[in-house]
Amino acid sequence: MSDENFITLRNLSRHFGRVRAVDDVSLEVKRGEFFSLLGPSGCGKTTLMRIIAGFEEETAGEVFIDGQSMGRTPPHQRPSNMVFQNYAIFPHLTVQQNIAFGLRKEKLPKEQVNRMVEEALEMIKLPGYSSRHAHQLSGGQRQRIALARALIKKPKVLLLDEPLGALDKKLREQMQLELRALQKSVGITFIFVTHDQEEAMTMSDRIAVMNDGKVLEIGAPAQLYERPKSRFVADFLGSMNFFDGRVLDIDGDSVVVESPQVGKIRVDRGDAAMSPGSEVVVAIRPENIVVSTERINNDVNTVKGRIDNAAFLGDRSNIYVAVGDGASTVLTLMQNLSGAASRIGGQSGDVWLRWSDDAGILLPGDKV
Amino acid sequence: MKSAARKVPFSALGVYTVIYLAFLYIPALFLPLFSFNDAIYIAFPIKGFTLKWYEEMAQNAAMLAALESSVKLGVVVSIVSTILGTMAAKAFTRYSIPYSRSLQVFIALPLVFPLIILGVALLVVFSQINLPLSMFTIGVSHVVICMPFSMLVMISRLEGFDKGLEEAAQDLGETPWMTFWRVTFPIALPGIVASLLLCFTISFDEFLLAFFLSGDEPTLPVYIWSQLRFPTKLPNVLALGSCILLLSVVIVVLAEWFRRIGVSPSVEETEKQ
Repeated sequence: MSDENFITLRNLSRHFGRVRAVDDVSLEVKRGEFFSLLGPSGCGKTTLMRIIAGFEEETAGEVFIDGQSMGRTPPHQRPSNMVFQNYAIFPHLTVQQNIAFGLRKEKLPKEQVNRMVEEALEMIKLPGYSSRHAHQLSGGQRQRIALARALIKKPKVLLLDEPLGALDKKLREQMQLELRALQKSVGITFIFVTHDQEEAMTMSDRIAVMNDGKVLEIGAPAQLYERPKSRFVADFLGSMNFFDGRVLDIDGDSVVVESPQVGKIRVDRGDAAMSPGSEVVVAIRPENIVVSTERINNDVNTVKGRIDNAAFLGDRSNIYVAVGDGASTVLTLMQNLSGAASRIGGQSGDVWLRWSDDAGILLPGDKV
Repeated sequence: MKSAARKVPFSALGVYTVIYLAFLYIPALFLPLFSFNDAIYIAFPIKGFTLKWYEEMAQNAAMLAALESSVKLGVVVSIVSTILGTMAAKAFTRYSIPYSRSLQVFIALPLVFPLIILGVALLVVFSQINLPLSMFTIGVSHVVICMPFSMLVMISRLEGFDKGLEEAAQDLGETPWMTFWRVTFPIALPGIVASLLLCFTISFDEFLLAFFLSGDEPTLPVYIWSQLRFPTKLPNVLALGSCILLLSVVIVVLAEWFRRIGVSPSVEETEKQ
């Protein structure tokens, strides 16, 4: 992966009637990068990918791949290949013919094509499958063959449209790691479309989070997870507690927020602009909130509550704590170290929640 | 106990089935039976075995000419109808066409027209534009009635067709035209074969339109009708009918066999290009 911008999308829009499926999207993908487009269904991520592949025409804007403007270049002349959501394995062809499908124009000798297919089958760990038909393959195998069929073309960019969505959980997790390892070894730029935030975080170098046709934020997974800049991104990646409040005091780098739900919260200021009295939202990840049965006499970053519900998940528990007058619930996550989480989940008395100054993320107050 | 009940050899439904099948097939079996009968009149008792009607048939130039006309007509009509029907079906299944449902019904409407009305109407049209009656005019009328069948067959085949397959082929570097030949056509092939056979059969035994619109060359049904006036020619017709019957069975068996082995052989050929 280099720092060079390999794929550039400039002010891309796609309108269907009055619906703006893609709304003025600009972004850059680097050579060899694993880049994900993440968002809820209907956010425009698939349309954006189909514009890059040439299946959808942009209403405005431009796509550049390796410095070349794609303009009205039809799909079959673009240096991109795609792995389709349902894999689109040709049902009338064998695995061998499927994988070699895109090589017809190269006019290679038959032995070389066979060798390339064999190598591709090795790569996807399906050696000896060349004479099978599509209906003899499982979902995971189809997915791998679709991948081999696209990669054998050595595209400048591989586009993947939710390719793991149809697989069961175990297989999906295994394929995530395999896909990531494969991408590293072939060094081809991947653009991966998914609605699964965990999947995007597992695999990507960078993620663009989309909603309503717009790209909200672009960044490395940890950056987006730990320091989201909008309420949507904070909410979409992982779980999040949001506390509405008003800025009480600004003291250098730290800000004190008065929240009707949990009292005073002290957070790092970050780069958000605000003044005393501004309406803000403080977001805190469940794993950054500690539950304890010991009374804490501190008037900042702590709140008394009562355990409302606890979901035991084996390695950890999600503990829901009713705070304040019981109207709001705080989600906390507790690792089950030596049974700690299963023990505390059964508590019926008062508990105290606390968190550190750097746990809170300050977001603008308007509910985006 | 249940399976014992099912094995009762004699049931009302069984009797019905036997009668039904007999009603269907006995008339058809009379054809070959009397075609070997050594008598001009079609009546029991059977007089004796002969092959002379088949020999006469083979020498009956007018009948063979009519047969040839019908076969040629059927081949051309089935190909033209299937091309038009496939194109219409592709349009209806691929693109969102306004009033798609109504248009489909509109195209299929000739299916329910009484053929005699259609025949008269076409006769009026052809004479108005001074088009002499010929095999061509019969062909046009047959395409009118075959195309809807072809379209319906192809729509049902193409409806389950994943559009992603065509996109995948284009994504892998094929032009829309080669995508059609390497993906759409082989997958649609069983439907195309079914459509060709269906259209051929319809055209081959269609009488009314051919009767109204034929010039000096009759099709086989028209020729057979004209021969019914001459009892001595009837055994020839029986011999020919038996041959056609046999051929139909062979075609149906072939079509079914072809459908079952799938489409891989022809695909191999496109692969080699």
